[in-house]
Amino acid sequence: MDRRSFIKLTAVTGTSAALASCGNPENQLIRFVPAEDIVPGIAVWKPGVCPLCQAGCGLTVRVMDADADVVRNGQAGLVRIAAAKKLEGASDHPVNHGGLCARGQAAIQITYHPDRITQPLKRSGDRGSGRFEAISWDDALGDLARRLDALETAGNQRAVAFLTRPGAGFRQTLIDQFVSRFGAPAPVAYELFGDDVQRQANALSFGRHQVQTLDLANTRYLLGFGADFLGTWNSPVAQGAGYGAMRQGRLGVRGVFVQVEARMSQTGANADEWVAARPGTEGVLALGLAHVMMAEKLVPDSAGRAGAIVAGWSDGLVDYAPDRVERSTGVPAARVERLAREFAATRPAAAIVGGPPLAHSNGLFTALAVNALNALVGSVDQPGGMSFMPQLDTVAAAGLTGSPARQTIERFAADALSGRPAPDVVFIDGVNPVFTAPPAWRVREALDQAAFVVSFGSFLDETSVLADLVLPDHSFLESWSEAVPEAGAGVAVASVAPPVMRPLYDTRATGDVLLDIGRRLRRPLELPWQTFDEMLAASFSALPSATADADAWTDAQAKGVWSGPLPPRLARQTGLASPARRTFSFEAPRFDGDAQQYPFHFLPYPSTAFLDGSLAHLPWLQEMPDPLTSAMWSSWIEINPATAARLRIGDGDVVEVASSQGALQAAAVITPGIAPDVVAMPMGQGHRTFTRYASGRGVNPIEIVAAVTEPATGALAWAATRVRVSRLGPPDSRLVRFAGGMREETEERR
Amino acid sequence: MPRWGMAVDLDRCNGCAACVVACHAENNISTVGADEAARGRAKHWLRIERYWEGEFPDARLTFRPVLCQHCDNAPCEPVCPTYASHHTEDGLNAQVYNRCIGTRYCANACPYNVRFFDFFNPSWDKPLHLQLNPDVSLREAGVMEKCTFCVQRIQAAGTQASAEEREVQDGEIQPACVQSCPSKALVFGDLDDPGSRVSQLSRSPRGSKLLEDVGTRPKITYLARQSQA
Amino acid sequence: MTHPTGSRINNDLLRPLLLTSWRFYVLVAFFGAFVAAGLIAWLSQIFFGFGISGLRWPVYWGFYVTNFVFWIGISHAGTLISAILRLVNAGWRRPVTRCAEVITVFALLIGAMFPLIHLGRPWLAFWLFPYPSERLIWPNFRSPLVWDFFAINTYLTGSILFLFLPMIPDFAVVRDRATGLRRRVYRVLALGWRGTPKQWHRLETAMQIMAIAIIPVAVSVHTIVSFDFSMAPVPMWNTTIFGPYFVAGAIFSGIAGLLIAMAALRKFLHLEEYLHPVHFENLGKLLLVMALLWGYFVFNERLVTYYGNGPAEMAVFRQTQWQSFAPLHWTMVFLNFVLPLTLMGIRKFRTIAGCVIASIGVIVGMWLERFLIIVPALGHKYLPYSYGTYRPEPVEIVITIASFAAMSLLYVLFAKFIPIISIWELKAGEHPPAPDLVPPATEEHRLGDLRL
Repeated sequence: MDRRSFIKLTAVTGTSAALASCGNPENQLIRFVPAEDIVPGIAVWKPGVCPLCQAGCGLTVRVMDADADVVRNGQAGLVRIAAAKKLEGASDHPVNHGGLCARGQAAIQITYHPDRITQPLKRSGDRGSGRFEAISWDDALGDLARRLDALETAGNQRAVAFLTRPGAGFRQTLIDQFVSRFGAPAPVAYELFGDDVQRQANALSFGRHQVQTLDLANTRYLLGFGADFLGTWNSPVAQGAGYGAMRQGRLGVRGVFVQVEARMSQTGANADEWVAARPGTEGVLALGLAHVMMAEKLVPDSAGRAGAIVAGWSDGLVDYAPDRVERSTGVPAARVERLAREFAATRPAAAIVGGPPLAHSNGLFTALAVNALNALVGSVDQPGGMSFMPQLDTVAAAGLTGSPARQTIERFAADALSGRPAPDVVFIDGVNPVFTAPPAWRVREALDQAAFVVSFGSFLDETSVLADLVLPDHSFLESWSEAVPEAGAGVAVASVAPPVMRPLYDTRATGDVLLDIGRRLRRPLELPWQTFDEMLAASFSALPSATADADAWTDAQAKGVWSGPLPPRLARQTGLASPARRTFSFEAPRFDGDAQQYPFHFLPYPSTAFLDGSLAHLPWLQEMPDPLTSAMWSSWIEINPATAARLRIGDGDVVEVASSQGALQAAAVITPGIAPDVVAMPMGQGHRTFTRYASGRGVNPIEIVAAVTEPATGALAWAATRVRVSRLGPPDSRLVRFAGGMREETEERR
Repeated sequence: MPRWGMAVDLDRCNGCAACVVACHAENNISTVGADEAARGRAKHWLRIERYWEGEFPDARLTFRPVLCQHCDNAPCEPVCPTYASHHTEDGLNAQVYNRCIGTRYCANACPYNVRFFDFFNPSWDKPLHLQLNPDVSLREAGVMEKCTFCVQRIQAAGTQASAEEREVQDGEIQPACVQSCPSKALVFGDLDDPGSRVSQLSRSPRGSKLLEDVGTRPKITYLARQSQA
Repeated sequence: MTHPTGSRINNDLLRPLLLTSWRFYVLVAFFGAFVAAGLIAWLSQIFFGFGISGLRWPVYWGFYVTNFVFWIGISHAGTLISAILRLVNAGWRRPVTRCAEVITVFALLIGAMFPLIHLGRPWLAFWLFPYPSERLIWPNFRSPLVWDFFAINTYLTGSILFLFLPMIPDFAVVRDRATGLRRRVYRVLALGWRGTPKQWHRLETAMQIMAIAIIPVAVSVHTIVSFDFSMAPVPMWNTTIFGPYFVAGAIFSGIAGLLIAMAALRKFLHLEEYLHPVHFENLGKLLLVMALLWGYFVFNERLVTYYGNGPAEMAVFRQTQWQSFAPLHWTMVFLNFVLPLTLMGIRKFRTIAGCVIASIGVIVGMWLERFLIIVPALGHKYLPYSYGTYRPEPVEIVITIASFAAMSLLYVLFAKFIPIISIWELKAGEHPPAPDLVPPATEEHRLGDLRL
């Protein structure tokens, strides 16, 4: 950086603007009037909503003046804008209570990312070549409307597919309305590390098709089954807050935490005791604990409906006696008994399951087993236990009817490839299945069948690059943002925030675009709102106001959140129509790959920095040392020291991991926090095209994951692949670590 | 005059690294990229150290956020020939970037290795620079940078308080790391105020200082993680 | 005393000044090229940023500081040795003193460059100097780096005086024999020397004062350089032994440097009749003494650390003794102790060739010693998470080589323009000095019989 740009960056002054515009006559001429009332140097804090995961944390955004190069009315120039400077957790938000995770902190780099798509694009090269040309919004939307009109004329509305993220927010509701009013099939929802199995199990056990909320702050004994609740699972900030209170928030009481998982996650690293059960047998351990508790009469036998659907419950789970559990899980019988007694003796206690244990073909059983255990110790809907948070029904709030349906992406791809129906127009919003779905599902090939792919993405990722038309969304700071969390608080929560800053580019809010397209069609969709914020206004106005002086909508905008008791008609109905008739018993997990040929379980896990890889484009997260390995900008594979010694693999050596699906090369990280028959790899890297920071970096473990699914939900059993591992060569530059040494004995110096 | 200090509850800290990114966001710490990171040039004013103990299946892990300890008896201060590294009246180990000539002696003297040298001028791919915090100066190549306890926030709170003709309240100042911490493991405040949360925590029997025997008298107290009761 | 006398001394020793052979130009071009490369390397480091060096978190000192300590160490060759030999009035010193003293001055100049080269912002180096500035900030007098500044400047000033004073009569000799421009230059340099008894008396007195004064300065300089390390709470640095250890190491490497310089001069300037094997043998004995002393210090330092078994110190100790730095460490022990002990301890190896081999070994070994003091300690400082290592990049290697080339270049130029052996002192040695000039206790020693 030269002196000039240095000055420019430090001081936001008129001089700097003049310096920057030297040599560009256009810029010298055009001095835009400041975008809004800004007092230079004075920070304003505005509410926001974190868009990165389902947790829906509330933000407080620091806004100050900055000089930005912008295009306004077709003219380039430098203008003083009110720019977001820092994201912080909103201190009075019922989910995150002022905290914000590393990913949320980095979300601001999405807005200012140098590789953001700045205007609508039309494909100009071959599909996937990444060559696009500019197109005006009018032309783009007109073209799209004509295509949809043509489909309608041909009576072929079912040839439209809409790929989106799962979730229950207003954006999803709008998409549902758009799709159903047009006559297209239900949207396709996909999330690699989704919680479908969990919801299904909760529906069966407790009649609630929803992810549970944990009251960690009041728990005295917490038994975790693989759930990375402090890192990546469910509502990590809310759970982190609860965890802190569980450990040190009560005078003289310190909650105990035991974690069961084959690979020690960031969450497991905090456990007082780590139990490395065999992958896919966690449910057996849960029922083994239940058996001991019932056999020793430590608790009343009743676990209600949750127990009743577990086969053998009424007989005291004789099949899950400690010695049998030991044979199945590898956890010594004595330890099973001790854990059962501890768990039964401490009140309140809670068990949670999530992540890898549910990513097996028997994941539903595992979740049901842990649910039964929770029911047995009476932790359901109790302080210090688990509960289900009332959730706003966005459909009802918006004054509509109907319940949203979703297709799986596996089904979509299979249908597209077999031509029933061959998709004609495919919309893609907020998902990157080409990167996150196993290759065996052939999502890429399925998209190739589509005549016209429309992406609302802000970046060219592996899926967006296949688009024929890119209609870039605003960033979350430039548009109305909202979230309706499913878990993480004791009361119903709906976050909403007006735009924090004016758009930097010629982008449009996807909600507004959908409404616009709906109006442009020859047979308009007749949606009752002109813009997305009208929909939000109408919906929030239907909510009861929390304060006397303002209506719910005004109040929610000011605070960034609405929360409170929910009238029954506005609560999401999560119950199942009819309870399950069958009972469930343990079935050995099904793995892809023969145990002889592929001796290791392969565990691709959500990375602390990138989750499923959707955040790999943010440089702060790339350079953040991974909490467990201190790796930055890299991929790696975790191997147990004994295994590594047997295979003659040294720390940092390049190894090959091969499954029936293919092979990957990565650097080995030797760690005692993983079972000898498991190797693990973080998701996130290995992007082929995803901005300058993520492209061509590391490897994508999902590429060797086989398409094993959990049968009841169709969810991918992403931990059900077996692999073999071999050493390729000595360490090279592919693994970058921040720490010099971490294997030393801890020195607690006093 | 206050004496700023921090307490880090290792029993609450779970290694989520929110503080690490919050620090980057607040303090205009540039990312250096993969190649430079591989050459040991990554800058993290705050890092989560983690250590393994034992072997599978009895492996245990500990996290420890390490940032500038703002020592009362700071080894970095006397060795600086130009007073770039110096002690402020309110007890901070300040680093005056403009005065730094880059001898890197302070970093050698620091037992905690929390000082980072700028090997190149920082750069931000446009428009990432719009995020830069105007309250924090950028550091040019050849100077040392380090944790300031978010001195800009301390100053702002002080100015605000004096404008309102009152004292700064306990908990009013939150450095970026403290603010972001989901589990409230970090507590910041005035150690000279016996009633402040941080001084109460600093007197905890669980408290200890990092590398206490080096004699630096740090102002950060680590509250030990308790073992299973 | 078997060297030539009278006008032959003048002819032999002034020959390089008056006649210029092609070899002089070749040497100047050769060393000059390396020096130029070093300058380019330094400029590119300033231009592109310090990042082109191999320094990294947490090893922020590397080759440059190693070179700094090394060259300051070499500087002890001259002035200290020459001053001690003058004080004890060792007659065999006469042909040796000047080529020793000049090493001091040049090594100091080169050594003092390295703190500047190593600065992150070298253009602000003047902030280290105590000058009245509008910023109203003086340097921090608590910083050992500021002590360095004063110590090195004092030593440099003293060394230049110490070198210059006995050159005055020789300048006069050259002045009397040269013509034209040269005559005018040497006339200025000779400061009006006429060789009157009064002038001789003053010169002798000044030399006595300087010889006494320069010894504590020399000792303090390297002690203060050692303070750069021992004042910081870094494991294996923060020790009381560093002062004497560094001084001994400095004299050790200084003697080795002097031996190499003498051998080179003898060969290239055909001074076989002035620099006798016995000179080498005597310095060789001195080298032997210093090798033993060095070994004693290292043994002391290592044993105390090992026995104390402090966790932080042992982390560094293990690195140097047994782990990644072990090959360098044991090479250092061989070159600094085993090799000089063998070659200098056994009489038949104590030849010129033997001395040169031992000296080259010591030079390399002492460079490694400084490297091994600096890098392993910084790379293994307390918290294992922040351990790191260091590998030099081309820019540092080039600048290091250039510093050796600069030394050679300056030496070649010096030998070209100034008699490298003190003409008048050599002549003075032919006649016993007047009794009133020699204190009774310091009788002239017989050559080859050093009783220090």
